Formats: sequence, C-alpha cells, structure tokens
Amino acid sequence: MALADPEIPEIAAGEEEDTGAQIAPIIRLEAVAVTTGEEEEYALLDLKAKLYRFDKEGNQWKERGAGTVKLLKHKVSGKVRLVMRQSKTLKICANHLVLPSISIQEHAGNEKSCVWHATDFSDGELKEELFCIRFASIENCKKFKEMVELVAKPQENKAEKSNEDTTAADLIEKLTVNEPEEDAASKKEDVPAASEEKVEEKEKAVPAASEEKEVEKKEEEAKQESK
Amino acid sequence: MALPNQQTVDYPSFKLVIVGDGGTGKTTFVKRHLTGEFEKKYEPTIGVEVHPLDFFTNCGKIRFYCWDTAGQEKFGGLRDGYYIHGQCAIIMFDVTARLTYKNVPTWHRDLCRVCENIPIVLCGNKVDVKNRQVKAKQVTFHRKKNLQYYEISAKSNYNFEKPFLYLARKLAGDQTIHFVESPALAPPEVTIDMAAQQQHEQELEQAINQPLPDDDDDAFD
Repeated sequence: MALADPEIPEIAAGEEEDTGAQIAPIIRLEAVAVTTGEEEEYALLDLKAKLYRFDKEGNQWKERGAGTVKLLKHKVSGKVRLVMRQSKTLKICANHLVLPSISIQEHAGNEKSCVWHATDFSDGELKEELFCIRFASIENCKKFKEMVELVAKPQENKAEKSNEDTTAADLIEKLTVNEPEEDAASKKEDVPAASEEKVEEKEKAVPAASEEKEVEKKEEEAKQESK
Repeated sequence: MALPNQQTVDYPSFKLVIVGDGGTGKTTFVKRHLTGEFEKKYEPTIGVEVHPLDFFTNCGKIRFYCWDTAGQEKFGGLRDGYYIHGQCAIIMFDVTARLTYKNVPTWHRDLCRVCENIPIVLCGNKVDVKNRQVKAKQVTFHRKKNLQYYEISAKSNYNFEKPFLYLARKLAGDQTIHFVESPALAPPEVTIDMAAQQQHEQELEQAINQPLPDDDDDAFD
C-alpha cells in the first residue's frame, strides 16, 4: 500500500486546498446525535487489519475492508461480538457474535491471517459468510486468534493459553496465586497435543489462574487500554 | 435522483454522475465503496450502472446514487442523457495515461452543458502506480474551473473517501460535515445445527487453501 510517487506528500500537504468553487448549497443538514451502537460494550481487543470474504461462486477471497477490528464485550449480558469498521468511512464490514461454535483457523498460505465462519449482521440482515482476516504481524494475528478462542470457550477450555503471546506471558507474570497440584494435572489432559510442550514449560510459572481469571485479567487490560 | 425501480429513502439523497475515459477506474472505485473488493479485471461499462452508496455523517445518513457511466465511446449509450438532474459529479482520469487527462476538459464541458453549477471533483486515480505519466504538478485544469482535485487510489484506498466528503460538504454548504461511525446494531442470536456446522467446516477447509488477492502488501491505513 506504499505510495510510490514521491510527490504524494507534497499534495497531501495541500490537499485540503479548496479551489473556492462558489456553489449554492441545495440542502440544509442539521447535526444529529451520533450513536455507534457500541456504547454498552468495551473492547477486549482493537487491532488494525484487513478483512476478506469468501466468494463461493468464484472460489476466491475478495477484499471486504481495511480498518479496525474489535472484540466487544457487553457490560451487562457479557456477550462478545466482533465488529470491524472500514477506516475513513467508518462503515461496518463485519458484525457478528462470537459463539462457542466458532472455529478459527490459520490461513494455509499466510500466517498473518486466519479464517472462520460467521452469521454476519453487517447490513442489518443475517448472512452466512466465510471471513479471512489479515494482520500486519504474526503476533497480532496470534493475539486475535487466541482472544477469539478464549471468549468462545471460557468453560471447556481449562488449559492455560500456551502460546508465546506476549500478552499471555505478561499476564502470567502478573498472577501470583499458587497452583494446586490437581488443577495442574487436569490441565495437562485437556491440552491439545500440538501445544502440550509449551504448556509444560509454562506450567511451573503458571499460577492457579483459572481460565476465567485469565479472561478477566485480559479484559481488565483491554479496558485500561481503551481508556 | 432514484431510478423508477429503485427504492427511495427517507434521508437525503443526491444524484452523483461519474464520468471520464474508459479504464480510468470509475467502476472499480464505486465497487470498492460498495463491497470493499478491488476488481482488477477490466470490463467496460455499457451505458450506465446506478448504485446507491450510503454514508453516515454527523448530520445523519446520506445517500449518493452513483451514476457510473461508460467511458468508452462505443458503449456510451445515452451519454449526456445520463447527466440530467445530476446534483454533483466526479470526473476521473488515470495518472498513468496522459490522454485520459487531456480528455478531462471535454468531459467537463459536456457535463456543464447539462448540469450548471454543481459541485465537481476531479480525481486522478491510480497514484499507487510507480510510473506516472501525469505528475501532480501537471494537473492544473481544476484551478481554472474551480473544481476540487484529489489524487486517489482505488487500489490502496488513498483518499478514497475524500470525493464524497467534499461533495457532501458542498451540497450542504457545511464545511464541518464529517463521517461518523455507523451504528453497529446488536446481531440477533442464531442457532446453528450440526448439519450446517459441518457444511461450514467443509467450506472452510476449501477456503483456507485459496490465496488472498493482495498477499504482497503489508501496510494498513
């Protein structure tokens, strides 16, 4: 997306330049109260990204928008949804609940991207969509994927987050409660085979933070960040 | 100005005429705003295609009925017949094709014959391309004619919202108008049965192996 032309900055400086066209307005618009629809929620996550939707007919990914993706948690109901807005126009390009049934997977050819299915409500009507989201870094993609997985399965997911995500690592450091033996044992069982190693490494450091505690912690951080 | 078969809306709407030589990116620009996609394939527009495009501003929702007209002469259809009752316009040229800029005065003249004194934006598209033929400094036509000029890229989204913002401000005579977040309504609860779930997972398996269209660029706005 880098602009190749060296003259761009020059233009950018003068782009608000209005040639002063004297045109009579044809309508009078009054300022109205603006509602984002997000007033009763706070952001668990807020990242720049690019979103694609899968065009089944053409068997190809198509761009849907580039902007900010958020995971929003409702202050009362606790429901979490994903909302993404196009930058500049601030239009919605994705708006759906994060349900326990969500299955989010890394894109086969791009490790900064992941893919999932959703019943999307962007246009005010429910539509089945396959989404792919691409981040600027592998870390952000990981962060996103882990948070989605965390909010989707808070009950069944007894395993500590095992990936080397910096956020997770920070959290682990901050937690100080000691971990009871049996808890640690039960954790091992639930850990998927692929990530078992990492979990074992961490287990000593990982205190008895229940899954819930971790979610709360992350949420707290998110709250503070959004302030 | 809606077509007879088009829904009218209860918020302000404007007829926007988009003109310019064939291949300058008028349809791609409109499509980018409509669905987010960037269409690389060139298919000339025949006659005109009208698309409603909504924006949310601090003064409420507004709609542009975008009259995306054919740039190629042989597909011109009614030509300036499409301009009637146009309330604002975009003249598009391609900064990588000098001739498309040379033709701007003709498009402007034809437009102004039908639509007197409407706000017009001149857009130099494809500024993401390295080898430009029309440099920013060489673009002077808008000064003589009191048009607004924006360098844009439908590919990178550079300045892609500016033409609409400018037109909205001029149409309302209010320089403070800006885009605001459209309300994100609460999505209703859905229940997904096992069969549907399985189907989605199958589709996902297929989609996961398809490459992304613009894998190469890593910058975000």
